[in-house]
Amino acid sequence: MALKEFKLPDVGEGVAEGELVTWHVAPGDEVTEDQVLAEVETDKALVDVPSPFNGTVNELFAEEGEVVPVGNVIITIQVGGDEADETETAAAPDAEAESEAESADTESDETGGRVFAAPSVRRLARELDVELGSIDGSGPSGRVTENDVRAAAEADEAEEDSGPRNIEINGQSATEKRDESAAPSAESADRDKTLAAPATRALAKEKGVDIDAVPATEMRDGEAFVSPAAVSEYAEAQRAAQAADADAVAAEPEAGTATAETAEAGPVAGERIPFKGVRKAIADQMQRSKYTAPHVTHHDEVDVTELVELRSQLKPVAEERDTKLTYMPFVMKAVIAALKDFPYINSQLDEENEEIVLREDYNIGVATATDAGLMVPVVHDADRKGMLQIADEMNELVEKARTRKISPNEMRGGTFTITNIGGIGGEYATPIINYPEVAILALGAIKDKPRVVDGDIVPRKILTLSLSFDHRIVDGAQGARFTNRIKELLEDPKLLVLE
Amino acid sequence: MVVGDIATGTEVLVIGAGPGGYVAAIRAAQQGLDTTLVEKDAYGGTCLNYGCIPSKALITSADLAHEAGNAEEMGIHADPVVDMSQLRDWKDGVVNQLTGGVEKLCKANGVNLVEGTARFKDENAVRIAHGGEGQGSETIEFEHCIIATGSRVIQIPGFDFADEQVWSSRDALAADTVPDRLVVVGGGYIGMELSTTFAKLGSEVTVVEMLDDILPGYESDVARVVRKRAEDLGIDMNFGEGASGWREDDDGIMVTTETEDGEENEYRADKVLVAVGRSPVTDTMELENAGLEADERGFLSVDDFRRTDVEHIYAVGDIVADTPMLAHVASKEGIVAAEHIAGEPVAFDSQAVPAAVFTDPEIGTVGMTEDEAEEMGFTPLVGQMPFTASGRALTTGHADGFVRIVADDDSGFILGAQIVGPEASELVAEVALAIEMGATLEDVASTIHTHPTLAEAVMEAAENALGQAIHTLNR
Repeated sequence: MALKEFKLPDVGEGVAEGELVTWHVAPGDEVTEDQVLAEVETDKALVDVPSPFNGTVNELFAEEGEVVPVGNVIITIQVGGDEADETETAAAPDAEAESEAESADTESDETGGRVFAAPSVRRLARELDVELGSIDGSGPSGRVTENDVRAAAEADEAEEDSGPRNIEINGQSATEKRDESAAPSAESADRDKTLAAPATRALAKEKGVDIDAVPATEMRDGEAFVSPAAVSEYAEAQRAAQAADADAVAAEPEAGTATAETAEAGPVAGERIPFKGVRKAIADQMQRSKYTAPHVTHHDEVDVTELVELRSQLKPVAEERDTKLTYMPFVMKAVIAALKDFPYINSQLDEENEEIVLREDYNIGVATATDAGLMVPVVHDADRKGMLQIADEMNELVEKARTRKISPNEMRGGTFTITNIGGIGGEYATPIINYPEVAILALGAIKDKPRVVDGDIVPRKILTLSLSFDHRIVDGAQGARFTNRIKELLEDPKLLVLE
Repeated sequence: MVVGDIATGTEVLVIGAGPGGYVAAIRAAQQGLDTTLVEKDAYGGTCLNYGCIPSKALITSADLAHEAGNAEEMGIHADPVVDMSQLRDWKDGVVNQLTGGVEKLCKANGVNLVEGTARFKDENAVRIAHGGEGQGSETIEFEHCIIATGSRVIQIPGFDFADEQVWSSRDALAADTVPDRLVVVGGGYIGMELSTTFAKLGSEVTVVEMLDDILPGYESDVARVVRKRAEDLGIDMNFGEGASGWREDDDGIMVTTETEDGEENEYRADKVLVAVGRSPVTDTMELENAGLEADERGFLSVDDFRRTDVEHIYAVGDIVADTPMLAHVASKEGIVAAEHIAGEPVAFDSQAVPAAVFTDPEIGTVGMTEDEAEEMGFTPLVGQMPFTASGRALTTGHADGFVRIVADDDSGFILGAQIVGPEASELVAEVALAIEMGATLEDVASTIHTHPTLAEAVMEAAENALGQAIHTLNR
């Protein structure tokens, strides 16, 4: 028998961490290879984590709701086998055992913990205080390279950093900044590991406190042990501290001063929602876009009366082919035609090499509101697809996004994004460009508005357009011309046939 | 402290100027530490003065004489005469050049040199007794100390090195005549190096070894190549016998041996060389005053940084338990100790220690044997190249032996090598580097080796392990 560790894998390209949303297994459960162990929400999507082994679940190393860095051990599985001498190493997982956990190869377990690495790499490991045995070498046959050591050192650092992050997630960091005399016991203990009964953990969860932050009541086996009473006390102290804070804010007569103090003391009392996962990813993406690209938004409106008619004619035809035809495929077609005329709007800025990359593919993202937040599924190579194919693909992707079944790949590689605010209401917006794209088009609601046609005021179907573009790449005139081209095609949708 | 005796202070005190001590002292000084090196005898220690260097000088000259006199096959006819006195002068010249070099290097690096014997007063001070009458003594206080006192030859009952007819290896290397008949007690590497050397210089050599074979610790097929060559040189080898005594008579000396069964044998000789090993020198320093205690065999235990139980006192070289008594190990340990004191991120974590025996032919080994690899849990994959298939070996006239390379079958990582044959002491360095670098069989096999050289045999052995050898049949 051998104890295998399983580390949180990189469930999507470049994903650094994930929230362990749900465990599907518990200690003692038999698992088979590929059986889903847990659901992990990354900054891109909710993904299933399958088991790489057949065996029995030994221990879970992450709580539901915990954010786990990629590469951290999340579960140990007892794997059957005849090699009796493996058990010894495995029974008490240590740094060395960890290194072999990911690979199915157990040979190195038995070879005296020998790690293959050059002397210079060994020295570097000592310098950076990295345990060589804990590194999975990327060199030939698993040789540990200098880069492996540096990466491990950085990961260690990140892991250390992640400690306080947990505290923040649970909204307790503000406590530390408050007057200590108000609630001394509310001070966070901020440990990496805490021993507690499962019921105590459940209580902590229920009360919304981080078990690692609760002051320990005793030590067991050298580790801090927390009792249910300590959790309750800490939660109460937390609540009192927050209430005191709220009172302080409420008591402040001058709004300006209150704001200043509030800013210093952190967010005020109220329900605290962890700022993580998809929400955090959206925030990061928006912030990055807004702070790198000078945004300009060009607004216009387009008379889509003919488009509405055309769509109502085609809709039943599409339905016969089991396709739900919305306006989006028409807009997409018009956008692609316009992008072809204005290639800079379908470009990306390679800042490192100081080059503007004119994309030759037309991957159109469709911003989709989901319960978890905004997601952008991408219809790849939309220029090579027919109207119905686009409609089908888009509908499927949007549905997947809404039900959180979408894969990170299906949200990658976009070259231009369309967001439809009109479905909810409203006319104009200033959409934030989906980094690293160059522009984004927001569609308003199609509304009946009076327009002058041949000298008469008549009701027409009017759609508003809001195009945000990166002013580093695209000038105002180009933005306006691009919008005009879209207008032209949407006003007279027959032209789309030529596209 | 003696009245009027003013203690001097140093950041690092190194005791012993052998390959462990002088290297440690120079590196400590290079690290900017105020360093004092104490030596009671000669700079360079056993290695330079009484071991590696003089023995290799003697071996080289003996080889040259023997080769020149035995090269009829190549059409060379000569009858060399060895002038041992002149040979000794040349050898001493080499030694002096090196020991003088060590002294100069120490001074040039700013190491304070002190002559004398060090004894611990306490864990932060030693008393140095200067050699000779009226030379006095002095106290040196230190922040860190590196003990590098090395080893001495082991004497056995009935054989006193004070007697002229009884040689230690040190005496043998200082000899200015070649004994007509030499009995060598001990078939280890020192015994075999000197046996073959004196045989080549014209001695009639008899080896007496208690075990069943020469070169304990080496694989039997490695030892076999050396034994066969020794037999060809006319060396008489007797196993399962321990030397029990000697006596002088009109015809030189008679060395007596005993078997386990109590059977006695006698071997006639002019000199008897006792080469049964070396023991650490830790009994002269009054270690207990520093809070240190050697084990029952005299060795000190150290950690990865060569620290003893007293954290600011380090030990390197032959006195360290669990590492072989080899000059290059001592030097590495000296560097580790000095750098650790200086706060560098070092450790003695070499993956393999190469070793060389300058018998005929030479032996070079590094890392694991096939059996050791298996014991460690690897699946050994072995490749071998006999020197009879090496063009260069044949052109040197020495094609006995082989290169064997041991690797892990799963990963291809090279784990060890056993080389017996011409220049094995040099060839082993390539495999040592390969092991330290975590090189695989493919790495070595794919490295272009100069033709025609002996080193090609290393490449061929790696290819052989991979089943890709060109010049040998793949195993």
